[in-house]
Amino acid sequence: MDCHETQERLLESFEGALSPLEKGQLERHLSECAECARFAVLQSQLDLRLRERIAAPQLSSGFRAGLRARIARQPREPWPDWLPDVAHLIGSAVAIGSCALLLPVPVPVVLGTGILVAFLTYSLQTLLVSALEQKTD
Amino acid sequence: MTDEDVQSLLRKHRCAAAFELLLDRYQQKVFRLVYSILKEAARAEEVTQDVFLKLWQVLPDYDGRASLSTWLYTITRNTSLSALRAGSYRKTLPIEDHEPPAAHWEAGAQQVEINQLLERLPEMQQQVITLFYLQERSVEDVAHMLDLPEGTVKSHLHRARRALADMVRR
Repeated sequence: MDCHETQERLLESFEGALSPLEKGQLERHLSECAECARFAVLQSQLDLRLRERIAAPQLSSGFRAGLRARIARQPREPWPDWLPDVAHLIGSAVAIGSCALLLPVPVPVVLGTGILVAFLTYSLQTLLVSALEQKTD
Repeated sequence: MTDEDVQSLLRKHRCAAAFELLLDRYQQKVFRLVYSILKEAARAEEVTQDVFLKLWQVLPDYDGRASLSTWLYTITRNTSLSALRAGSYRKTLPIEDHEPPAAHWEAGAQQVEINQLLERLPEMQQQVITLFYLQERSVEDVAHMLDLPEGTVKSHLHRARRALADMVRR
């Protein structure tokens, strides 16, 4: 194991345990190489200092209360996302059914026209909803 | 409580309950990630609230494509970086504070202020090494929180440690 490799293994040792073989090779090299031994001492001191100084900060006791207050101030959604689609589907079905029953026109013609109109109005509604959402964002 | 429990609640449209579970599970981790970017506890707490407020707004739209934690950490990083860019609060140290502190730990002659040394590292190395110690020295956690491969996290850590050692020796 050369010096570079030894120093890399040493740095890895701060991230998790080395295998017994790696540990043995590392210790052997450190006992023979003064420069790497100094590097090891310095890195151990650094690790200790970093552990002491980088302490996990704690959230204050008012964190959740503050968050809840901010959530409570949020404007409520005027309707669920799915509501316009479902309303359109029901409205189209009722309109097509009524036309088929009441108009003196063959049912296949009413159905075909109804489905076409429903598709067009649904596309228009989707465009409007999307434009409204972009404006809100 | 696992992410699967949260996803199960979301499938039942119980967003408020899912939100509470996420808050219990992730508030501290999110706070640490924000803190590793902003480096100021009071401001980090405020931005952590911003993150969970955004989560509250978008949780009903969660589509399950990314894992919940990956999704939440992405929101956290983006929100923190926006706050950092907006950052009039960002600490601007006087020039003399950036001078390399004279230090010889081995001799024990002078005490080095580790925070000063950390501030002289590149931003990513600072963030990785700070988060590594905040997350109880878990490379896996840091990699997940920063969306980086573990090898990249280790590489940042090693470069940071070597750079810190050079500063101390100088």
